Amino acid sequence: MPNKKSLHIESSGQLCIYCGACVGICPLNCIYLDETRITFDEKICTRCEICVKACPVGAIEIG
Amino acid sequence: MPKNLTTDVLVIGAGPAGSMTAKWAAKRGAKVLLLEKRQEIGSPVRCGEGMSKEWLTEVGITPGRWINVEVEGARIYSPSEKVFEINEKHAGNEVGYVVERDGFDKQLAIDAGNAGAELLLKTAATGVLKEHGKVVGVTAKEFGESFEIRAPITIAADGFESQVGRWAGIPTNLAMRDMDTCLQYRMTNVDCDVRYCDFYLGKVAPGGYVWVFPKAEGLANVGIGVQVSQVTSPADARTYLDRWIAKHPGYAKGRKIDVVGGGVSISKPLPKTVDDGIMLVGDAARMIDPLTGGGIANGCIAGKICGEVAAEAALGGTPTKEFLQKYETGWRARLEEKLYRNWLAKEKLVSLSDATFDKVVDALSGVKLEKLNVHNILKAVHEKYPEVTKEFEAFL
Repeated sequence: MPNKKSLHIESSGQLCIYCGACVGICPLNCIYLDETRITFDEKICTRCEICVKACPVGAIEIG
Repeated sequence: MPKNLTTDVLVIGAGPAGSMTAKWAAKRGAKVLLLEKRQEIGSPVRCGEGMSKEWLTEVGITPGRWINVEVEGARIYSPSEKVFEINEKHAGNEVGYVVERDGFDKQLAIDAGNAGAELLLKTAATGVLKEHGKVVGVTAKEFGESFEIRAPITIAADGFESQVGRWAGIPTNLAMRDMDTCLQYRMTNVDCDVRYCDFYLGKVAPGGYVWVFPKAEGLANVGIGVQVSQVTSPADARTYLDRWIAKHPGYAKGRKIDVVGGGVSISKPLPKTVDDGIMLVGDAARMIDPLTGGGIANGCIAGKICGEVAAEAALGGTPTKEFLQKYETGWRARLEEKLYRNWLAKEKLVSLSDATFDKVVDALSGVKLEKLNVHNILKAVHEKYPEVTKEFEAFL
């Protein structure tokens, strides 16, 4: 995906509190929450940035 | 662990709605399997822990040690902190008890187990099994090992971040305006009043509110919900909450002992919550009250209906979407009118200016309303600020 901006979910526990807010809002259903791990499907994600707004602690960055 | 299991009724998610569904399906004679992806029921807590109480008997819940505090009512604060008190009976889905939510969830799972439901912990659904367009179970992972579970009826009770419904093809997506992003601290050494759940409205929390739910003398859940469409920069929920706390000396002196986050839907009820072989219940079905953000009562009430219909479909009926309409009709008859009414009220509230909030709360603060409803509220406001009620004509 050379033209896409990179999306980074800080899910090592420094910021992410594993609350699932991003998972519930993702319009493409491409973010997954295990107990203490958040992952997203790079191929499906369109970098719409809705999850960035939904995250209550600012753990998602798109740059 | 025997792999590729079969059961009559398969429930995904052991929160209140899931455990309630499992309990009532088992009580009606079905073989029930309840899946929970976490290793411990109810933990970590993702909840403000306020709930009403008049519905508990209806679904067969006995009050237990999970109750922290029984409150007398709610206090609504306007932006300039004029205050309006509401008796607990009229205060809606978040007021009655402040609970230890993990203890509450565990009690409901125990009730489900005692009714005969089997529980699989640390087991996540990873996909939906479909045959000829019908849901016939899920693929699951337990301690990293994949297998299939087949059942005539699958119930998605997988909470706000529900994926099972979407995998099955039932749209549950939310627009940004239909969700609040929430953050809460449990704080000790604060000046809370154990007689009240407090709500602060206006621009302190755009499209939501700040809440203080007391858990004991000096101990409270202090949280915020902000409408996602009104978020302007990352971590706004935290920024607004920290700002509110800093401005309130009774809380600024407190110590945070816990942090909780999450999403809350504030949408209209979904147009559809069943399909062939599947039903959605609780937060997964967007049954959260869009005005208060409370989801426990509605999830449990719908869960009982869901469990009863699931058992009937699995044992005697057929799990077609036509048969499962019984659940769709049942939960809507019980909850939909209020959900829709509160959605309309919320749509109006999120559009009010701070000045209007102040006038409304000020008008109400002086009067004793016999019955709290829209008509009486508007009448009271009209007497003091006739120009304000103009804004509400469309809503009436």
